[in-house]
Amino acid sequence: MSPEAVIVGGNRIPFTKAGGRYAQASNHDMLTAALDGLVARYGLAGERVGEVAGGAVLKHSRDFNLTREAVLSSALSPLTPACDVQQACGTSLETTVYIANKIRLGQIPSGIASGVDSASDAPIAVSEPLRRILLKANAAKTVQQRIAAFSKIRPQHLAPAAPSVKEPRTGLSMGQHQARTTESWGITREAQDELAATSHANLAAAWDGGFFDDLVTPYLGVTKDTILRPDTSVEKLGALKPAFGGPEGTMTAGNSTALSDGAAAVLLASREWAEEHHLPMLAKVVDAEVAAVDHPSGADLLLAPVAATGRILERNGLTVGDFDLVEIHEAFASTVLATLAAWESEEYCTGLGLSGAIGTLDRSKLNVNGSSLAVGHPFAATGARIVASLAKMLHQRGPGSRGLISVCAAGGLGVVAILEAV
Amino acid sequence: MSALEKVFYSPVGQGVAKKAGLSEPPTLRRGRTWPQGAIVLAPLEGATLGKLTLKALGRAFEAPVVDTDTDQAPGYGSRIGALMVDATALTTLGQLEQVRAVLRPAMKGLERSGRIVILAAAPAGGWEQRALARALDGIDRTVGKELRGGATTNLVYVEPGVRPGDLASTLEFLLQGRSAFVDGQTWTVSASGTKATVSDKPLAGKTAVVTGAARGIGAAIARTLARDGAHLIVVDIPPAGEALAAVANEVGGTALHLDITAADAGHTLAAHIAERGHELYAVVHNAGITRDKMLANTDAARWASVLDVNLQAQMRINDVLLNPKTKGGLAKGGRLVGIASTSGLAGNKGQTNYAASKAGVAGLVQAMAPDLADRGITVNAVAPGFIETDMTARIPFVQREIFRRTNSLSQGGSPVDVAETIGYLLDPASAGVTGQVIRVCGQNLVGA
Amino acid sequence: MAAVATRAERDVEVLAGTPNLMPAFARSVLPRPHSGPPTIPTREAVIRNYSQDPARLAAYNRLTGFTLRDAVPPTWLHVLTFPLHIHLLSDKESSIKLLGAVHVSNSMTLHRPVSVSERLNLGVHLDALRPHRKGALVDLIGTIRVADEVVWEGISTYLAQGVTVPVEAQPTDREPFEPATPQALWSLPLDLGRQYRAVSGDPNPIHTSRLAARAFGFPRPIIHGMWTYARALASFDGRLPGAYATRVAFTKPILLPTTVGLITHRTDAGYRAVVTDRRGSAPHLAMSVDTPQLDQ
Repeated sequence: MSPEAVIVGGNRIPFTKAGGRYAQASNHDMLTAALDGLVARYGLAGERVGEVAGGAVLKHSRDFNLTREAVLSSALSPLTPACDVQQACGTSLETTVYIANKIRLGQIPSGIASGVDSASDAPIAVSEPLRRILLKANAAKTVQQRIAAFSKIRPQHLAPAAPSVKEPRTGLSMGQHQARTTESWGITREAQDELAATSHANLAAAWDGGFFDDLVTPYLGVTKDTILRPDTSVEKLGALKPAFGGPEGTMTAGNSTALSDGAAAVLLASREWAEEHHLPMLAKVVDAEVAAVDHPSGADLLLAPVAATGRILERNGLTVGDFDLVEIHEAFASTVLATLAAWESEEYCTGLGLSGAIGTLDRSKLNVNGSSLAVGHPFAATGARIVASLAKMLHQRGPGSRGLISVCAAGGLGVVAILEAV
Repeated sequence: MSALEKVFYSPVGQGVAKKAGLSEPPTLRRGRTWPQGAIVLAPLEGATLGKLTLKALGRAFEAPVVDTDTDQAPGYGSRIGALMVDATALTTLGQLEQVRAVLRPAMKGLERSGRIVILAAAPAGGWEQRALARALDGIDRTVGKELRGGATTNLVYVEPGVRPGDLASTLEFLLQGRSAFVDGQTWTVSASGTKATVSDKPLAGKTAVVTGAARGIGAAIARTLARDGAHLIVVDIPPAGEALAAVANEVGGTALHLDITAADAGHTLAAHIAERGHELYAVVHNAGITRDKMLANTDAARWASVLDVNLQAQMRINDVLLNPKTKGGLAKGGRLVGIASTSGLAGNKGQTNYAASKAGVAGLVQAMAPDLADRGITVNAVAPGFIETDMTARIPFVQREIFRRTNSLSQGGSPVDVAETIGYLLDPASAGVTGQVIRVCGQNLVGA
Repeated sequence: MAAVATRAERDVEVLAGTPNLMPAFARSVLPRPHSGPPTIPTREAVIRNYSQDPARLAAYNRLTGFTLRDAVPPTWLHVLTFPLHIHLLSDKESSIKLLGAVHVSNSMTLHRPVSVSERLNLGVHLDALRPHRKGALVDLIGTIRVADEVVWEGISTYLAQGVTVPVEAQPTDREPFEPATPQALWSLPLDLGRQYRAVSGDPNPIHTSRLAARAFGFPRPIIHGMWTYARALASFDGRLPGAYATRVAFTKPILLPTTVGLITHRTDAGYRAVVTDRRGSAPHLAMSVDTPQLDQ
């Protein structure tokens, strides 16, 4: 029997809105903080861990070895190897799978899966025309040439190019894509606002109950997720203007994730390593699956996890009812609702090559301690946040409890994984 | 020599200490350092305990210079490091003359941060013997106030049956720099039959919990116990997590985010210890808060929060950890240390709630010690005086300056001074020290 | 590592905020006809309740190689006191002027981790004016308190050439240097001085202008010693304890642009690093970190 990969625990820094309290922190800084908190929680100072896998979606070229550099700045042994992985918003669920697979193959006894993103410190902040002017000015040999180059700058060039993630093949932002999905699946404004309100309420309750005491370490004086609005309600959310889909659109800033900053990490190990080090074992990584949709041909960009979910359930002989908890990343409230509708659609599922509809989820099992709408969504950090939280929740429910994670990602990608409490 | 020239001759790098017009307080010898000069032993009336204890510590010693009641006290040729007066065999007040005769030459013969240690039989026996024991305490307190240059004096009462092994860790602590800010104090060592011997890593292989460890005195305690070999579980409230993580990673321990006032805090702590496979050797209840106001302005919330954090929370946690059925509970031969305060012992304006909680800690350890003696668990408290931390920094300036200056060492203490005293109490060789409240205050004027 | 210091009974000048550096700097440059023995101001210049700028700290950390954490580097705390250096050296009582004075050594003690969110009381005074074979040495002594707790102390020793102090010079010890192959090479661009000026506020043109550098006998601008020191200290980032002492001796200025080498060692007390020329044959500065855990 191949070794099991168990989740020992996790750590993240509180997530903040882009341009907030971490506005000056780089991916390197935040990832180091997340690792240091994990090291402190599990007493790993000076330890050589098998490997650390991490990544970021918005990455400066200087950060080509982001994770390894963070390891060197952390309290881990400098002999700890590392690699960068990137799979859009699926990044740190993918790093979890990567580390778990290496552990299951016996290649490493322990490893850390992580992810980080800073929408505040996004690499490209100048418009394309301005970039060209700057290049020209840089190459100028005389002051006159330089002045001439700068004289071409127009006010519109200086407009801040917010880090919007546009699909290269469609030219549509993620919100625009999702607006089409929202409309075609008939997801109502009310349902979206209700899901967003529930996310905030669940997260607020989790914080109040101390759920995050051993999952979060403060950073730069931030002690709690700052996007969380414990006092929000369906009524308050209902007052917001549409942000996507035109004036008739149903997607607002309240039921879409905010651009966020943050980092998260998960410690995984073989059972033997965890036992030797007297560390907890919360859950094992049972299986994982990645799928993609043909969004350039018109498929729903963010519904790729549906195919992945169907395939992983069939492979493991499981149904939706076999899961005690389900975590569906809330890129947008409507993504979650469209995903659940797609699960129930015989037509959509068989169209994916599945034998039938995935099934109906008991909503009381969904994102019970809140998800990205309330926590925030630093792209590459979200997977590791969910893995650590879900592993803890499953462990609290007792051995054998089963959980499903579904994360949609740019590029029409979907990553899903099954965890089971040990 | 002109004032300007004096400045010129100051050695490079001493600039910080150079303050015009004010006598500089002495820099105290700290850490696991022994006196530089000779250790002088004065065994009175044939006492042998001091001699045997020094031998057990492997320290050489010399005979004392004895004053013969002349106008000019005879001096030591070169400055001595320490004088140990073994008065355990004295029984009459008339014999106090022998104490005077050995102390007088030492008063001006001690090196900087030198030491006087007086050993005496614990108060017992007849009226005169009890009076004698108390008289020695008065001598100790007064000598502390007369000594200069960072030198300290302390009195150890020795219970019947105490052997050198029971006393070794106490004497080592008092002679070493670790006791830098402990001055003019008296505490008692009992017979414990311990087989532990002193070492530079007395806590090797032992697990200790320190609460309130993210900063200040708690962080210093964690570092000092780690230096002495302990494995640390450092505890603080979740919002202090970043600083706590830095401390945990520095000492190679683990960080536990825990609000000690939570109803299930003791169980959470025990579960953490059990899960991590540790045998719990010691708990240092360091976490504490102040909510200072004159009593006339103190409401119920201010009152309750201080008492809960500083006193009631540790009682609840102790209840869980001392239950022999608790997995991850305190082991046999373990150590509990509470933090009292000179404010609690002497009272302090604006701190009724704090004084109540801290005096309560002193009362608690004295009550618990005899009850836990059969399990070899010692329970003690350390009562810091003015220690320079971000917590004391909130004291108004004038009061703070008075605190600083009104002790025998003319300065505030350092968090490490409190930490070293706790390290001494945690030493397995300190098994005979229990139910004690040791002040780390530089012999502050206030307090009993 | 005891955080114990007493309040000096010296005059204190409380500044309302960070002084405007350019005029003060200009004053600190101007030579003034002077007769009689050299003098230094005796008062302590103080800025109270100083609030740190996290954005500037982030930029400072990025330029010097520190990871941004809640706890700030001790060299950053030095930077915060630096305006007070200029303020005092621009005083008419000061025979020592900043321009032309050479920062020869620095030592700092971080008594405990200092948070970027903490309000600081910054104080600097001059002391220990003493002779040197090339002129006179003086210490600028910085103390940073949180409320009244001393959290950081620093001594910057400057050499003022041409200032004569009427007593005999003491020979200064210099640590021996063994040439070795550098473990790291840093390529320092010409505008590094400009970049460091932006985060440190040090307006001395000797670091940014070829002309000014020439006026003081350097063919090219020289990088701030405190940048190099910080960069060397940052090479131990992640391994530094919460409290420690560190010192540096500046041996030879680094002309920009250039490539320099770094040699580091573990010592009994902590760490030692030497910034050398690219071949590791001659030192520019030598620094050490003494960690309290290791020397007890």
